[in-house]
Amino acid sequence: MRKYFFPVVILISLIMLALLAGNSAVRTKDFLGVLSGGGTDGHKMILFQVRLPRIAAAVFSGAGLSVSGFLLQGSLDNRIASPGILGINNGAGLFVLLSACFFPFQAAMKCLMAFLGALLVTFMAYGLAAKTGMSKTSVVLAGVAVSALCASIIDIMISWRPEIVADKTAFQIGGFAAVSAMMVSFGAPVIAFGLLAAFVTAPSMDILRLGDETAHGLGLNTRRYRGLCVFCSALLAGAAISMGGLIGFVGLIVPNCVRSLWRGNARPAVFFCAVYGALLLLLCDTLSRMVVFPYELPCGLFLSIAGAPFLILTLIRKRKRLGAD
Amino acid sequence: METSYPQGKSFRIDEVCFEKGRITSILGRNGCGKTTLLRTMTGFLPYRGSIEIDGKECRDYTGLERAQKVAYLPQIMKAVKMDVESLVEHGRFPWHGSFRRMSVSDKNVIENALEMTHMTSLKARDLTELSGGELRRAYLAMVIAQNTEMILLDEPTTYMDIESQKLFFEIVRTLADRGRGIVMTCHDIAQSFSLSDIIVLMDQGVVRKTGTPDSLEKYRDDLVQLLGAAVKRIDDEKLMYPYVLIR
Repeated sequence: MRKYFFPVVILISLIMLALLAGNSAVRTKDFLGVLSGGGTDGHKMILFQVRLPRIAAAVFSGAGLSVSGFLLQGSLDNRIASPGILGINNGAGLFVLLSACFFPFQAAMKCLMAFLGALLVTFMAYGLAAKTGMSKTSVVLAGVAVSALCASIIDIMISWRPEIVADKTAFQIGGFAAVSAMMVSFGAPVIAFGLLAAFVTAPSMDILRLGDETAHGLGLNTRRYRGLCVFCSALLAGAAISMGGLIGFVGLIVPNCVRSLWRGNARPAVFFCAVYGALLLLLCDTLSRMVVFPYELPCGLFLSIAGAPFLILTLIRKRKRLGAD
Repeated sequence: METSYPQGKSFRIDEVCFEKGRITSILGRNGCGKTTLLRTMTGFLPYRGSIEIDGKECRDYTGLERAQKVAYLPQIMKAVKMDVESLVEHGRFPWHGSFRRMSVSDKNVIENALEMTHMTSLKARDLTELSGGELRRAYLAMVIAQNTEMILLDEPTTYMDIESQKLFFEIVRTLADRGRGIVMTCHDIAQSFSLSDIIVLMDQGVVRKTGTPDSLEKYRDDLVQLLGAAVKRIDDEKLMYPYVLIR
């Protein structure tokens, strides 16, 4: 049981710490005051309107992106599949630009468009891969193709309407500085739903690992389950992106780590992915607020710096393993 | 029943019946449609015509319902990172779906399946660490735990040494004696004739002949034409199998 409680305890402590940390003066005493029902309106405002939404966004996005990656990797049988690599990020980015173009300064619209973009691109890549035979390579290639298409449309739009770029750069690095309670109230329930669906259907993931024919023999409708996985992962990634922008690599790092440490069934693996994903993103976000205090670094920057070398390492290790077989 | 591949190769069976409590072996050259027949019977491939399982049309079953009636083990078995016991537990999936937990009776079924296949001592092992024969027995334990009336096996004895093959046939015979129906494809003609109750001969997507090994022995020319060899029964205690290959 310790392995389940340990990360949860750390996550809770980190949430407490993150509530305390920040560049405006809320001291420990004030914080405890607010918790026990007192405190000034200013302190309450900072805690509940600024810090709490931001922490919630980081926690939910982290869990969402990481489980999204887990679902994609499992259902496509490809350890490198993740929301970023399948082009979900660029798709969401494109739609955010569209919304900046046609509905400037409307946060709600931005969320919704990011979300729609993620869904659309995932199904484009998945449909393309299904048409070309659903092999490991074709899925990634389809993702790369769709991603490139979105990227080029983004470039065309930037040359056409350069004034929308400002919005775009902040979005593309990713971070939670601009998160509002409204955004969280839209994104968090969607992520909660996706996590629940992933958790409940997890045993099918174990069956799917045995190969399509065997899974079919055991009564699993493989096509329907794959579709469900892809839909859920787009839902999770879309909602996460709508809150925190294009945060890369969480969906790649966390599931891969969990997979190499945990050899058991998929249901606990979903749990670990969610908790460790939340932990990682909250840690990065908190660090990004503290490292160059009183300024802030975008949280996505931390992740990319850690994520790129990790991807390289995974590839090298995979190569070694293949060589040993 | 008719089915066809995307490549246009067609496949047509007029009538064939597989019974419970018997071991049926499907024989034929490579590419004659043995695997296709098994796959179609599990609903893996679409078909025209009719396949009845226990009096009900195959395509009218839901996936899980069908998997409670018919178990299917494909030729390629993946050695994934999973221990043997977890694999065998997955055999209970058709009865649970994703939602229910293992009950005591499930545990018993799993224990029995492990025991029957002599895998109890290996149950904590990872599938990646097993030999080819052990891996096949582990998967066999999984379909036994599925507790179906019919078990379809596609080339189950490939990659098995003689000892493992013998053990395998003993397990399958026990299953048949307990009332389960076994349908398998096999490339070893002498072995199939010696150890099966019914032989189904296939050629180019059509069933040519069906019958007990004894009744088919006399069609020597047909056997040579369909399989490339015929069989002859020789009752000699020194022979491993009573049927031997002849030209």
